[in-house]
Amino acid sequence: MSQETETLKAAREELDRRYNKIVGVASSNLCTHCGWCVDQCHYYLATKDPTITPVAKAERVRRVYKKHHDWMSRVFPSWTGAKELTEQELDDWVEVAYRNCTLCDRCMANCPLAVDTAQILLAARGVLLAAGKAPEMLVQLADAALAREENLDFFREFYLEQLKELEVEVQDRLGSDKARIPVDVEGAKMLYVPLSGAHTITPASTVFNAVGESWTISMFEAANYATYLGDIPKAKRIAERILREAERLRVQEIVITECGHAYHTMRWEAPKWFGGPLPFRVRSILEVLDEYVRTGRLHLNPSANPEPVTLHDSCNLGRKGGLFEEPRRVVRAAVEDFREMTPNRERAFCCGAGSGLVAMPEWEDMRLKAGEPKAEQVRATGARTVIASCDNCRHQLTELSEHYELHTQVIGLSELVVQALVPR
Amino acid sequence: MEENALLRFAELDLQIIALSVFGILYAIKAWTMARLPLKWENAPAKGSPAAGVLYSYAATVAPWMMSSATQHWTRWLEFGLYHIGAGLAILATFTLPFAPKMMEPAAVRYFFSFFVGLAFIVGAIRLYRRFSDPTLRVVSTPDDYFSLAAVEVFFFLMIMTLLVRSDGWRIAYFLVTAAFLFYVPFSKISHYVYWFFARVLMGVKYGRRGVMPQVGGQR
Repeated sequence: MSQETETLKAAREELDRRYNKIVGVASSNLCTHCGWCVDQCHYYLATKDPTITPVAKAERVRRVYKKHHDWMSRVFPSWTGAKELTEQELDDWVEVAYRNCTLCDRCMANCPLAVDTAQILLAARGVLLAAGKAPEMLVQLADAALAREENLDFFREFYLEQLKELEVEVQDRLGSDKARIPVDVEGAKMLYVPLSGAHTITPASTVFNAVGESWTISMFEAANYATYLGDIPKAKRIAERILREAERLRVQEIVITECGHAYHTMRWEAPKWFGGPLPFRVRSILEVLDEYVRTGRLHLNPSANPEPVTLHDSCNLGRKGGLFEEPRRVVRAAVEDFREMTPNRERAFCCGAGSGLVAMPEWEDMRLKAGEPKAEQVRATGARTVIASCDNCRHQLTELSEHYELHTQVIGLSELVVQALVPR
Repeated sequence: MEENALLRFAELDLQIIALSVFGILYAIKAWTMARLPLKWENAPAKGSPAAGVLYSYAATVAPWMMSSATQHWTRWLEFGLYHIGAGLAILATFTLPFAPKMMEPAAVRYFFSFFVGLAFIVGAIRLYRRFSDPTLRVVSTPDDYFSLAAVEVFFFLMIMTLLVRSDGWRIAYFLVTAAFLFYVPFSKISHYVYWFFARVLMGVKYGRRGVMPQVGGQR
């Protein structure tokens, strides 16, 4: 069997495996090609390229599905534009599914028929993975998460050293040498899962110490790049590391740091993979901060943040995660001048870097271009600070600020809270 | 076959045959979709899946619920008029043969003709847009053009049947209706079958996650 045939065979098998109710409905005649989604997509708004609209992107994959599942397309493929899957088609899908879509869901939310374009393109990502055509960088990042568990002893020593250094920063900020970044505390109330950067550890640790929280920090990072690949088995294994740790430490809940996809994955997707609700409550740190503010455990001084501040709704936290008012309540308590972007909440535009795009330097030009609508939204607020509670968004918004000369700083919600913290 | 016999065949026997085929094909479509696997949302709910589904359906007829409709309210109006017209034209295929007295008053005939006429105009606009707008042209297939044109013919014949009231127009209308019923399950016009599924899937997801119904302040 030739290499090409093997690749196509693997791709076709995966295409069939992905044909579930959501993909089946979305790749059927549900889409009437009405075009309502066209200017709801940040890619089209930025490029005006008619081949990068949600309907055009989904159609590339839909036509292949139709060839196998639609009555008319099987008999008269040219009548419906149906196509057979080819090596060339797969090569084209790499850009269609990875470069030209951030799976932000905005098109579906604004589609009169509710066509789930993101799920079609996620299926295409899975097919590309099976065909060995997924971006290598994303595969490596997913593998790195698993490697950390496999070599935990090596990482552990290095990590603990880092945490000790960060602990000193927390102590300095709070003026208390009792502040700790606790590790492996059995029976702690919450397991906080950060990312690898200090910016997701120090501010949260400062807040937890300030309110006297019962917590322990995870040995693992929250990122789960396998979800971007549509690689469910691997994504499940990455999530399992944290679940096992939470089980071992007998915590009551898992709190995910300011990371959009990590929260979306653990809160909403992982229960589907594991066949039911997880044995722990899963919350985003945004919800925890909101609870602290609402219950008066956290006292904030808005005058510490007098400059205008705006908030970016990450797609994974907002439109796909349901967290809209939680960060807003915290921001309002922490700043003097909060300015909403327009549109916002479930209507917010993607920053342009979601779904792993930020990790792929070869597509930087498109990423920055696709971020243009968001950059203009930020500019229109006149804000000097943008709150972004997703690491990918934060990275992108920082680059957008430079690229489009927005003169804004981009920080996380925890950092904003620390700036406004009133010591007890 | 005499004209009266042909009319009787076209508006009764043929319709019953066409509707039966149509119904069977739709039932197969719905059954095929329903048996596809799906991992439903099962994380502890933040909102209400039922409220999400209701909201999801309501959003179609409430332009303020979707920015695609809010930004382009004329397009939403076209969408509404087109589907009202389509609904009335379909209704007439039943009322004309089965409840002829209901269609006798001039006011009723003008009412149907007016709205189907508006839908006909919208259809023409849509057809023009499909040819002229590059974002639509790039995704359009022969089925897209044919379906739009076929609906235009259907609308036109329905109006003529009601206004001119000759057996010729009426026979043509019912022959086209039957042909239409045979074609629809194979074309994109069958979108409304899937629409019921799609709205439930979206409503359950967004409802459970607390995204729908919308809460909070101005967007």
